[in-house]
Amino acid sequence: MAGVVLDGVTKSYGKKRGVADLSLEVGDGEFFVVLGPSGAGKTTTLKAVAGLVELDGGRVAIGGRDMEGVQPYHRRVAMAFESYALYPQKTVSQNLASPLRSGRTGSYSESEQRTRIEAVTTTLGIDHLLERFPRELSNGQRQRVALGRVLVRPADAYLLDEPLSHLDAKLRAAMRAELKQLGSMSSTTSLYVTHDYQEALALGDRVAVLREGRLVQVGTPEDVWERPVDSFVAKALGQPEINLLDAVVDGGELVAAEGAVRVPVPRGAELRAGDRARVGIRPRDLTLVPGDDVVGGAPDRGQAVLADEGARAVRVEGRVRLAERLGRAVELEVDLGGGRHHLIAVDESEAPLAEGDAVRLAVPAARVHVFAHGAPGEDTAAVRPAAPPADGRPAAVAAGPRTTTEDTR
Amino acid sequence: MTTTTSEHRARQEPSPPEQSRLPAVPAWRRRLWPYFLAVPALAVTIFILYPFALSAWYTLLDYAARNTGSVSVVGLSNFQQVLTSATFWTAVRTTLVYAVVTTAVETVLGVGIALLLYRASRIGSVFEKVLILPLMIAPAIAGVLWRLMFNSQFGVLNHVLGLGSFDWLGSSTALFSVILVDVWIFTPFVAILVLAGVRSLPREPFEASAVDGASWFYMFRRLMLPMMWPYILVAVIFRFMDCLKIFDHVYVLTAGGPGTTTTTLQIAAFQNSIVFSNYSLGATYMFLLWALVFITARYLVSVLGKAQRRAAGAED
Amino acid sequence: MAAAELMPGQRRFTPAAVGADLLLLVWFVFSLFPLLWLVLLSLKTSAEQTSTYFAFSPTLENFSTVLSDQGTRLTSVNFLSALVSSVLSCGGAVLVSLVIGIPAAYAAGRWRFRGSDDLMFTILSFRFAPELMVIVPLFVIYNQIGLFDTKLGLVWVLQLVTMPLVIWILRSYFEDLPEDLEQAALLDGYTRRRAFVMVALPLVRPGIAAAALLAFIFAWNSYIFPLILTGGTNGTITVAVARYLGGGGQAYYNLTAAAALIGALPPLVLALTIQRYLVRGLSFGAVKS
Repeated sequence: MAGVVLDGVTKSYGKKRGVADLSLEVGDGEFFVVLGPSGAGKTTTLKAVAGLVELDGGRVAIGGRDMEGVQPYHRRVAMAFESYALYPQKTVSQNLASPLRSGRTGSYSESEQRTRIEAVTTTLGIDHLLERFPRELSNGQRQRVALGRVLVRPADAYLLDEPLSHLDAKLRAAMRAELKQLGSMSSTTSLYVTHDYQEALALGDRVAVLREGRLVQVGTPEDVWERPVDSFVAKALGQPEINLLDAVVDGGELVAAEGAVRVPVPRGAELRAGDRARVGIRPRDLTLVPGDDVVGGAPDRGQAVLADEGARAVRVEGRVRLAERLGRAVELEVDLGGGRHHLIAVDESEAPLAEGDAVRLAVPAARVHVFAHGAPGEDTAAVRPAAPPADGRPAAVAAGPRTTTEDTR
Repeated sequence: MTTTTSEHRARQEPSPPEQSRLPAVPAWRRRLWPYFLAVPALAVTIFILYPFALSAWYTLLDYAARNTGSVSVVGLSNFQQVLTSATFWTAVRTTLVYAVVTTAVETVLGVGIALLLYRASRIGSVFEKVLILPLMIAPAIAGVLWRLMFNSQFGVLNHVLGLGSFDWLGSSTALFSVILVDVWIFTPFVAILVLAGVRSLPREPFEASAVDGASWFYMFRRLMLPMMWPYILVAVIFRFMDCLKIFDHVYVLTAGGPGTTTTTLQIAAFQNSIVFSNYSLGATYMFLLWALVFITARYLVSVLGKAQRRAAGAED
Repeated sequence: MAAAELMPGQRRFTPAAVGADLLLLVWFVFSLFPLLWLVLLSLKTSAEQTSTYFAFSPTLENFSTVLSDQGTRLTSVNFLSALVSSVLSCGGAVLVSLVIGIPAAYAAGRWRFRGSDDLMFTILSFRFAPELMVIVPLFVIYNQIGLFDTKLGLVWVLQLVTMPLVIWILRSYFEDLPEDLEQAALLDGYTRRRAFVMVALPLVRPGIAAAALLAFIFAWNSYIFPLILTGGTNGTITVAVARYLGGGGQAYYNLTAAAALIGALPPLVLALTIQRYLVRGLSFGAVKS
């Protein structure tokens, strides 16, 4: 058992950057997810740990031992490649036997090999495919074989590179659930790379968010979801993407969309009147509020918001420009303040909404994120209080001031 | 840099006390690995480059079989002698005529055959299998074969074509005849390269313009030719460079004659160095031919690079 | 093969299609007639070799004559010995090129190390350099150190033909091979050498076979090297065939044709077995089909 430490790891491919000055500490037995868009350096991170790339700088340690100059075959790590990397000329069972026959993962008799392969293929549900060649398998099956080749052997760390990326949505969800069980079952230190935030949040004990080869944030799934350090992390998590609106501080409030959105300035944040900032509202945090003059959401849910958090809720009114049904939920594009701004909201209330309808939306002030001002497309840091309050929760996400958020009209 | 985590996870691993170190390979040895693999090839390369260099050195000597005992450095006088000799310039002319005509004819025919074979037809698919046969015969043996056919008294060509005792290898016809044989051997080379190129082209642009009602000729000129150009150029480069140093079948057919009518540069060098055993003079011929090949190669490869970039643009 | 696909806008059996087929026919008559003629001539008796063209009584006698002492006596060409010499020296040259070329091609295909491009282009330039540039000094050197007219000398000089071919073709195959496979083998616990032997080598086996056969064909077909660097004992088949017409005395056209046919056959047979890989090989990996 061993933790994995990366310290200032830097690697570029010619002019293309892989990772830059990346430092991570992965605890023993931890399931650690590295999240980022393509080109963020996720695969390079794994290959650095595996010893498959020559580092330009920095060090990697596994189990407290420095890996400088240690060849991949001595590192006792197993890796599942995004491309699966199954040996095309070998059957499934030969592929799985390969790490057991190298002599560097322990020595196994023929029957021990068979027992191990049987155990892992049964767990993964591929025990009927043993004599097939990789070309005769579906992507999902190849995926399982690639995972099997990792799990069949003892290792100090498992490195998993987008293991679910080529699967269709249904299979992906099923495999995600299975993986979670596998991971906890073997409790081996795992580095898991993905571009899918749902996988990251569902699987990770902790999540590291990478951007263009640099580490942006590390934390538990709750940390990165609730307290993103900047708008990049906020945008990377959640589908549809978080709404970002430019705002100006006016009378203790952040005013955005020409007054259509008014958010209390978080307590302790260094924002003065006239300062500019950005407010971020996740589409799924917005709920429909029923009213006389608007098409209502589910009364019970809306009422609940009003009753429990009414004092802290930010309310927004607008007109539905686009309503797109995504299965059970409906994605709404809502025009604000004369149609020059809009919000994306997701409604699951089954309300009979049509394009052109006026709606009233509410979001708990505690769930509104505030970021520094920046140019369009530029990512900016979250606005945090100068000193963290006693309870250790950053003010940006702490409950807003007890002022009633005014109706915009 | 770690933020708060669930307590049992980020437990800091206490540094293990003096664990056995894993075998490590120092950086210089890791960097040397590819060189290590390439060393044998490098050795062979050097052993081949050595005679090359020696050949260049010969051009500055008066090295010949008749004076092996007293070789001396004569500077550039070999070059002076060669560059002022009519024989040399005749050989240059012959070589260039040969290379240009041969490459042009083979390119036109090869592209034509490739396009005809690309059109689906039963007869075409049969022919495609036997297309490469002449290409795979040794050019020297092809020379023997054609010499049998060219024979003015018993040769089958004059019989079939009813030409009486036409002299295919006479002083006014020999160059034409050796070019003909080159075309026979190497046109398939151009054809299969271009055919492979045409087959690899995307079909969508052609289908789109066929739907638009474009004529076949328009599609060929505007779409196919620009995209095919890199493949054609690869074939042209190979053919032209090989023609500059042509030897095998020409030597078998005519040995450079009659007179000097088919004496290409490499045949002239052969006569000087091997037949007359004047190594320095032969080496000078070869050095000048090498320079010609080198310059041509650089030029053609840069043209190819441009064409490839343009074709990549055309496919977008 | 895409041959059965119609081009967009193409129809079968139009005047244009028939015309296209006719044009093709013209080429293939030109292309195949000499080969047909070679076969016919090789089947004629000495009495008929110059007296008839297409009507004659065929015999296989010429082939046995060429391959026996009788042919050597008649033409002073020891064809059988040339055949053996060709097989051994060309086979040896290909073997040497593979042993030396496979690691180099792998290194050049996998890593961009300093000087790798220079090395590759130097090797390629051997393909385009005028042969005599090397042969003239080698002729002198071989005579001095006793490699003249030996199989070893031939194997050595044929590297100019075989090595660029092997290295360039194989490099293009290794480049196409995903790196992940060997990396997976490394993490399975195999050393780089074992990963190469276990994973990379089997996957490029078709490429190796194609490169080896093509290199053999070109070595077999080469003429100028053995012409100058061998004498009577180790001359190769191309030199032997050409010598049937070379010397004075009586001409045996039928024997010449039989010899030429024997000399031409191995490359033809080999070429047909690797037809699928031929384009890539002939263009040194530049054109992939």
